[in-house]
Amino acid sequence: MADYDFGLFSCLVVDDSSYMRTLMSASLRAIGVGNVKTVDDGGQGIDFLQLVTSDPMKAGMQNVDIIFSNWQMSPVDGMMLLRWVRRHKESPNRFIPFVMVTGYADREKVREARAMGATEMLAKPFSVVNLGQRLLQVVNRPRKFVHTNKYFGPDRRRNQKEIPPGKDRRKNDERNIEVVHV
Amino acid sequence: MSNAEAQGKAEKVPGVRFYIIRNILKDKASGGGVGPGDKGGIPIEAIQAAEAEFNKMAEDYPDWVQSLIDELSENYRRCIDTPETRHENVATIHDIAHDMKGQGGTFGYPLITNFGESLYKCTHKSEECSDNLVGLIKAHVDGMKAVINGRVAGDGGEIGQELLASLEKAIEKYSADDDQD
Repeated sequence: MADYDFGLFSCLVVDDSSYMRTLMSASLRAIGVGNVKTVDDGGQGIDFLQLVTSDPMKAGMQNVDIIFSNWQMSPVDGMMLLRWVRRHKESPNRFIPFVMVTGYADREKVREARAMGATEMLAKPFSVVNLGQRLLQVVNRPRKFVHTNKYFGPDRRRNQKEIPPGKDRRKNDERNIEVVHV
Repeated sequence: MSNAEAQGKAEKVPGVRFYIIRNILKDKASGGGVGPGDKGGIPIEAIQAAEAEFNKMAEDYPDWVQSLIDELSENYRRCIDTPETRHENVATIHDIAHDMKGQGGTFGYPLITNFGESLYKCTHKSEECSDNLVGLIKAHVDGMKAVINGRVAGDGGEIGQELLASLEKAIEKYSADDDQD
């Protein structure tokens, strides 16, 4: 297996704990990520993403490749940031990979984040290996995006298994499916 | 189609629209050297370097977490001194506990995660702030202090088991008292 070089990657880390911010950014840099910026909460995350668009020189990056965001923060938490990234008309890139970092481990919370369009979940406590796995998952196994009237985000079906006859609850057939290459 | 055009188009959806996105990140990471069906990895030296960085930070964790324990103690004290704002203090304790439960295990102190998780659960409803709950909060804070003051890393062996057992006892005691109320 070939080794990746993440030197050209630009990542944004959003966490209200200074300790976790330092840990996450130091680990990403050690893995080889070339450019890592950190901010304190979702609101600052939105400001930074807008700055990257309006003044990349000042922001110190041309674009953001991946967002690693804590969930529980105030005043603007990770879910609100994710919603803005995926749905707001001013979002610079609605397809950006978004890794939600969270101490919430219950299924309901995972479902909630997926329904909002999270690309990956990283549960705390985590290790360097867990962090690296999420990074590789984003790079090696990107998913197509799905847009319906209720959802916009990465395809939530990771494994495309054949659906047994009579079990397919999807209401759309090929006539109203459109495929767009970005 | 450009990203902006695609985003504009995404405003109107007929039924389902799939966006197949070119894997720019893989090209960036491999310089085009890893084909569409192939996967790349992270160099083992990079993982080792990151783990070394991680471990270096873990050494400072007890000092850092001490500030959170001080915050918990302060909020506990306010629960006693000013019962009228107790629900706010319990809500703050709940938030701090959430932070701690996620961090302890990451830095080699799974007992802090255990205590944090338990404290997080029992402070879930900040409007229910009985004296028993305040007593239970104290038992958690004392346990965390013991873990950090004694640098009880890992599962803590016998001491760790004792600390968890005393927490269990405290939970039983205060729950029983609540049932009698």
